[in-house]
Amino acid sequence: MSRKRWGKLSTMLTLQRLIAELCAFWESEGCLIEQPYDGPVGAGTMHPATFLKVLGPDPWRCAYVQPSRRPADGRYGQNPFRLAKHFQLQVILKPSPDDVQEVFLRSLERLGIAAAEHDIRFEEDNWESPTLGAWGVGWQVVMDGMEITQFTYFQQAGGIDLSPISAEITYGLERIAMFLNKVDSIYDVPWNESLTYGQIRRVEEEELSRYYFEVADAGFATLLLDRWEAEAKNALAAGLVIPAYEATLVCSHQFNVLDARGAVSATDRVGLIRRVRDLACACARAYVSTRGGVPVAVTEPEPATAV
Amino acid sequence: MKRDDFLFEIRTEEIPAATLAGARQDLARGIGDVLSQEGIGAESIESYGTPRRLAVWARGIPERQSDRESEVLGPAASAAFGPDGKPTRAAEGFAKAQKVDVSELEVVDSPRGRTVAVRRRVPGRDAIDVLAKVVPRVVGELTFPKTMRWGAGDRSFVRPVRGLLALYGGRVVPMEILGVRAADWTVGHRVLSDGKLTVTGPADYFQKLRGAYVEPDAEARRVAILDSARRLAAQAGGSIDADSDLAAVLADLVEWPGLVRGSFDPQFLDLPEEITTTAMRVHQKFLPVRGATGLLPHFIAVMDNADDRRGFIAKGNEWVLNARLADARFFFREDSRESLKSRLPELERLTFQDRLGSYGAKTARLEELAATIAEAVGRGEIVLEVRTAARLSKADLVTRMVREFTDLQGVMGGLYARAEGLPEPVWKAIADQYRPQGQGDDPPRDAAGAVLSLADRFDTLAGIFRIGLLPTGSKDPYGLRRAAAGAVAIAVSRAWRVDWSGVARKAISLYPADLPGLGEAEALAELEKFFAERLRNSLERAGSSYDEISAVLNVKVWDFTDAAERAAALTEARRRLDFRALVLAFKRIRNILGTEQLEDPSPGFYREDAERALAADFLQARALLEELVPARRYPEALETIASISPSLDRFFVEVLVNCPEEDLKRNRHALLGTIRKEFTRIADFSEIVVEK
Repeated sequence: MSRKRWGKLSTMLTLQRLIAELCAFWESEGCLIEQPYDGPVGAGTMHPATFLKVLGPDPWRCAYVQPSRRPADGRYGQNPFRLAKHFQLQVILKPSPDDVQEVFLRSLERLGIAAAEHDIRFEEDNWESPTLGAWGVGWQVVMDGMEITQFTYFQQAGGIDLSPISAEITYGLERIAMFLNKVDSIYDVPWNESLTYGQIRRVEEEELSRYYFEVADAGFATLLLDRWEAEAKNALAAGLVIPAYEATLVCSHQFNVLDARGAVSATDRVGLIRRVRDLACACARAYVSTRGGVPVAVTEPEPATAV
Repeated sequence: MKRDDFLFEIRTEEIPAATLAGARQDLARGIGDVLSQEGIGAESIESYGTPRRLAVWARGIPERQSDRESEVLGPAASAAFGPDGKPTRAAEGFAKAQKVDVSELEVVDSPRGRTVAVRRRVPGRDAIDVLAKVVPRVVGELTFPKTMRWGAGDRSFVRPVRGLLALYGGRVVPMEILGVRAADWTVGHRVLSDGKLTVTGPADYFQKLRGAYVEPDAEARRVAILDSARRLAAQAGGSIDADSDLAAVLADLVEWPGLVRGSFDPQFLDLPEEITTTAMRVHQKFLPVRGATGLLPHFIAVMDNADDRRGFIAKGNEWVLNARLADARFFFREDSRESLKSRLPELERLTFQDRLGSYGAKTARLEELAATIAEAVGRGEIVLEVRTAARLSKADLVTRMVREFTDLQGVMGGLYARAEGLPEPVWKAIADQYRPQGQGDDPPRDAAGAVLSLADRFDTLAGIFRIGLLPTGSKDPYGLRRAAAGAVAIAVSRAWRVDWSGVARKAISLYPADLPGLGEAEALAELEKFFAERLRNSLERAGSSYDEISAVLNVKVWDFTDAAERAAALTEARRRLDFRALVLAFKRIRNILGTEQLEDPSPGFYREDAERALAADFLQARALLEELVPARRYPEALETIASISPSLDRFFVEVLVNCPEEDLKRNRHALLGTIRKEFTRIADFSEIVVEK
């Protein structure tokens, strides 16, 4: 395959190159480069660097990779598009800048994608997370027929109306890498110059799928959910917002485990979602009341010039 | 007076395609209306817009409002001036309050008699000042299904506002909307052009935009898409399906529509065509290309770009479609490993509605209800296949294919059921259960499909009505209007004569009796009103007028086929027969009788000839109607009813109904009441509108 299209980039656009380029780009836009959340979460949005930081009045700009775990999406390493765990590159810009779409397009340029040579559209796709009491309005960014990014203006998180509004940009890294390299399976994506995604992760996908669909102990997951729910309340009572929120994330993940295991009935579902949402909302309220009123030390990012 | 054009453009981030057409119209109409109210109506108003801008061109707005006279009334002339003609204190007080000299007061004729008044000439304002004031208000009053906030979070609109152009006669109209100030420039296509485009007026605006890869006219974009698509399809030896809906959506996703043709791997032509075309049309918004004998392995994609010089766009779209089709084939093969029946336990975990439980519960209800309906429409012999179809009808919701391609619900169930070797009526019923999807869509092909579709609709309507979530205004999240309209269409197209209230009652009773919300009787009454509205729309489309439909629905709603036939007969009969006299007589009867309880008339109390004649004619007509109405020979029945109007007329001329003799009066009421009762089995004629 010709690599000419990558313009300035002489090497192939491996997954790790893609991550490095996007992080470098967003760093140049004044983003703090966060590290992934250290527990299982369904999406980059659940990282405290997003969920808590979009609350309250303080400006915030960050970017990070988040491994995102969705047990029900596991396909035993067989499906070329689906994974029990995938990688998102998450960007939060608070408040959303006026030229946010143009900045996003420049991030594509950094990957060697000249917008004028492609068809890039912003198509309506609103986002809602019932478990986080959060929703936003935005688009999926479609390039040459492929959804490459979710673009959301957060309106509410933890049941709280947000002000200022954050823009969230979530790149689906595997998808972009597949598309840019025109490979037909996620597992053929080059991770670096010599190893493929499949070589690194296929066994893990097989095992995760078997575990979540066949082995996971639903009774244990239920127990964990109950206990961590109590623990979240416990931490909240002690005024510890971040541990309480971390406990909430465990509950959310255990709910996903139960769901993948087929152990959530229609009637249970509503109640379980409400329990997790109630915790998330309580954490959000506690965060705003303890920190939201008093501006904490956050460095206002300097708008950096292009690299 | 000199007239000039107003050009207005509000630039935003991408407005959802589904919202755009309405927003364009609302903005143009709003501006047109407010200008007329202000006395500076435009000669014409045109709306334009792309995903990134809403624009209005209002031509020929007068440059000023006309001056007008204002008059403020004061005290009565008699109180304002003394006998000597000198102003009183009342006049002086009024003059002072109005800030004029007493000598400027005038005496005018008013509804209160001779009154003191102050008249002033109010000079008209310049159009540009009026525009500056009212246009921001129009924008502020636009409504959208969903609005959002951005940036500091203190403003809301459908998407963030990024620019404003407002020119009247080439001058900037000073205004600020949602934090953005009006200017005399716009911008072109996001990636194909660069920088500001200074605009002097409408002609310049259109020329410059088109030079900067923006076609502001949605209809022009739609036509361009269809023309190019036909040409590209022809070059590949095929044609595109007539689908103006998709073309209109595509036109509202781009500022500058370019088209590319791509191809997919011909091996996917083996997949059922429903799957391939859904992947193209619904998921990728491609136009499929059809040859003489079926689909061709090509598609046409619309891009927001002038061309695809380096071929990236065609290649990308081809890659995505091939991936989707590979996905679909994978789903199809995987799904086929499991029977629909084996999926049923999974439906217990799939929510139908939070308060109404799972699809498992719905399936159980559907089986009962479908059997009831099959019996009700006189097709007892299909009960077994209808039950089988109902039991399996929702199983495809948990297949991989339908989870991914939700538009294929029903269709996939049908394909899988056929592959499993289920009988043809069963798989066809499953495949057709969501038909008709809307107005103009075909109803289910077979009786079993029609029964299943009706059962599904009645079940959903009954459940949602029971918990009180009736549609309001434009909000109809469960698609209940479409569900009910579809039920009416199916019943009428099959000419099934059924009193559907029994089915509705059964559907309600299949839900737990203790559901909070409307009671069973209340839900049924609401459903009747709801169906009456759907039936009304359907009858209007069939050509009946509002009053004819009211006349028909006043008699009975719940047998849709019968109501349609009665309406058709009445509408047709009104072209042939003169109902005027009859209608006036029935209105008169309604006024005389009110709601009193009536007995049968007795011949012993007839006194006048006209009375006996009416009774005789009535009895003769009734004998005929007893044959005609049950046989649903409505045109002849209406003729028979109309034939009695001369004797009714004569009765009203010659007989005093409310006579002093109480027994005669009561008997006359009884006669009229009987006539009304017997003659109102097709239509309530008193609802018909006639000129007096």
